Amino acid sequence: MKITQDIKESTVIMTLDGELDASSSVILDEELSDPEIMKYSKILVDCRNLNYISSAGLGVFISHLQRFEDAQIKLIFFNMQDKVRNVFEILGLDLLMTIVTNYEEAITIADE
Amino acid sequence: MFNERKFFLPFIKQNTTNTQKQLLPKLSTVFRFMLYKTNVKSLLVTAAIISWVLLLGNVLLMAESVRQPGAIKLALPYINNLLIIVFILAVFLFQRLSANNLKGIDFSSYLWNLFSKAAIAAYLSIALYFAYKLSTGYARLQSPLLLHIVYQVNFGLLVYFLAKSFYIWRQLLLYHKNKFLQVAWEWFELLLFSTLILTLLNFNYTNYIFLPLFGLFGCYILFLCTNLKWVAYLSFNKKSRSLVLLGAILVSCYIFTKFFQEFSDSQELVIDYSDVGFLMLAMMFVGCYTLAAFLVSLFSLPTSSVFEQKSEDLLNFQRLSQSIQQGQNESQVYNTLFESTIKASDATAAWFEMVRGNNTHVSHLLNINNEQIERIRHLLLAYNIQNIDYINNNLDRNTGFRDLALPWKSLIILPIKSKKHVFGTLYLLRDIEQGFDRETVNVLRTFTSQTILTIENLRLVAESLQNERYKEELKIATQVQESLIPKTFPTDSWFEIATHAVAAKEVGGDFYDFLQLSESRIAIIIGDVSGKGISAAFHMAQMKGIFHGLMQQDMPPSEFMKQANSALSRCLEKTSFITSSLYIIDYRMQGFMFARAGHCHTLYYNAMMEDVFYFQTDGLGLGIVRDKSYNNHVREMYYDYNPGDVMVIYTDGIVEARNAENDEYGEDRLKYMLTQTYHLEAEDIKCAIINDLEDFTGPDNLYDDQTLLVIKFKPVQPKA
Repeated sequence: MKITQDIKESTVIMTLDGELDASSSVILDEELSDPEIMKYSKILVDCRNLNYISSAGLGVFISHLQRFEDAQIKLIFFNMQDKVRNVFEILGLDLLMTIVTNYEEAITIADE
Repeated sequence: MFNERKFFLPFIKQNTTNTQKQLLPKLSTVFRFMLYKTNVKSLLVTAAIISWVLLLGNVLLMAESVRQPGAIKLALPYINNLLIIVFILAVFLFQRLSANNLKGIDFSSYLWNLFSKAAIAAYLSIALYFAYKLSTGYARLQSPLLLHIVYQVNFGLLVYFLAKSFYIWRQLLLYHKNKFLQVAWEWFELLLFSTLILTLLNFNYTNYIFLPLFGLFGCYILFLCTNLKWVAYLSFNKKSRSLVLLGAILVSCYIFTKFFQEFSDSQELVIDYSDVGFLMLAMMFVGCYTLAAFLVSLFSLPTSSVFEQKSEDLLNFQRLSQSIQQGQNESQVYNTLFESTIKASDATAAWFEMVRGNNTHVSHLLNINNEQIERIRHLLLAYNIQNIDYINNNLDRNTGFRDLALPWKSLIILPIKSKKHVFGTLYLLRDIEQGFDRETVNVLRTFTSQTILTIENLRLVAESLQNERYKEELKIATQVQESLIPKTFPTDSWFEIATHAVAAKEVGGDFYDFLQLSESRIAIIIGDVSGKGISAAFHMAQMKGIFHGLMQQDMPPSEFMKQANSALSRCLEKTSFITSSLYIIDYRMQGFMFARAGHCHTLYYNAMMEDVFYFQTDGLGLGIVRDKSYNNHVREMYYDYNPGDVMVIYTDGIVEARNAENDEYGEDRLKYMLTQTYHLEAEDIKCAIINDLEDFTGPDNLYDDQTLLVIKFKPVQPKA
């Protein structure tokens, strides 16, 4: 699992590369828990190379969801593979989180 | 010499053959009884005593016949040789059988044994001789008979001395033997005993023909005398004690040699034992070996302390490395380290600091007080020398140490630490400069590294014991969880159910359960707690409690989900959530109600439409949204079933199972499996799916808990 952050003004673009399982979700949790991240108003998560997400990985996003909402930070997922999207949908997370098809769409929604 | 020789000449040939004939059956019995050592021993003792007494009698008779030429010749001179041989053989064989194997390396006790039991004979013999001299001198009379008796007794003592010392030296000589030495010794013994034949045949061994042979034999003896490995194992004290004993044994050899030399070719005696070549050679061996041992002990005396130190170091290494087997604890290991390093380095003062967590405390002290330790430690702290290898062989040259005015000149610091832990620090001090040379430091470092190894191993052993205990606990957890999952469902005529559940680890987060709500209604729940292992197992148990608690009140599935979410919100940790589906089947109404909370879609076969599909309903997992807004995220559905319909309920461990190529089993394959098997009984459908799943993943490829329930509805039987 490789997580890279790309910062553009008030936007953090987080790229997830690999499989998000029990062990790598710890790294993701560290990244999302970083107080620095609260300075930005938009977090766009690029899931193009995210091949698998375990319940632990989902748990990390779920645990930060409320915090971001309270701080009015927009969390948007884009470029999600069908397989991964299916996992989000089964759990019902597609209704809670913003999942869009591509970067342009993500930018548009984020700027609303 | 030729005067005496006539007594040994073969006088009566007939006589000898007779005696030999008498002896032969005796010998054969000896061999027959070889197995019975004690029998042989007593036989040998008897033979020795009888032969000696007979010899004495014969000698006395001979002496009498010499003194009184007119007397009748009762003595049988030639028989003397035979009796001598019998006596020597009996005594030597007896000692050979009595010699025990070496026990331990307490060689000085063997020497003491040799002295007290054998060498003392020489002093007895000399005392006896002087007593004879005194009594005859005092009484001013000549008593050839008495002299013969003294001579004969001394002969007995000599043979006993030689036999005893011969076999004690054999044991020591063969210490740490090899095959070659063993063979060399056996040949030596054989050759030595074969010289008895010379006596029997009455050859004069001083003959020029035999001289080169005896010379060679002497070389052989000298070669054997170089095997003195046991001397090295004597400590300084034991060596000095051994030197005294060896000296005393040498004196014994000298006394005997001198005594029998004095009487060789004596006109007063009718017999001369110095003519027995065997005795001379045996004496040569015993004397040479004693002398060699004496000299080697003497010259190795100055170096023995080095060897002693090395062997003590070795013993201490053994103690350290065996401390685990002996069930010692860490403080005992540190005791060993402290004592052995002080001995190895000859330190005058020392202390050991043990590290426990973040604080250190001085656990061992030698010739140093806490105030001095504190001062040295402050200085080391100032120099930033802490927990590192440090040697200072000249403390006076350093101003800091000079100001402390310590009585020591050299200091070595040996940290006991591994890559991960610091166990403690050892400080050794000596009152001389250059107190810790390279050799000593090497030995000390070996001690410390062995200690580190031992301590780490001790901790590993403790850890593995702890792990063993955890495993036992886990086994109990597995059993407890097993009991939480129902083994049998109510059997009824209107539906059949088959279940399959395996956990990836000892305990899992998958669960299913049922509750009979009324005569015609049954609630079935399936769930999956996020994560695996113990925490998941706890939540799974919690969920079971919630299910039973809430469903007692008989509520619709969506209501159950709302209340379960509310209950779980208060106890589930932030990153955990639970997915679940609840079905309430009413066979009287021929339908079921269900709600899905983030759980895998239910796979369904409709027998009327002959269609296999997934129920696509919305529903958010439990514990994701922890407020009232969850109520908007759960849907309820009602479905009428037909006889022959099949419902497949499962957890994500089934559809997300992967094969070696990392492909997922997937919903599509599961659906395909049902289209192929819906006509079978529930149990067979389940087996077909599980077999297909195992074919797909391959053996031993279980990463997530897997649960599968197959429910098949049957037409209601007409009531009989």
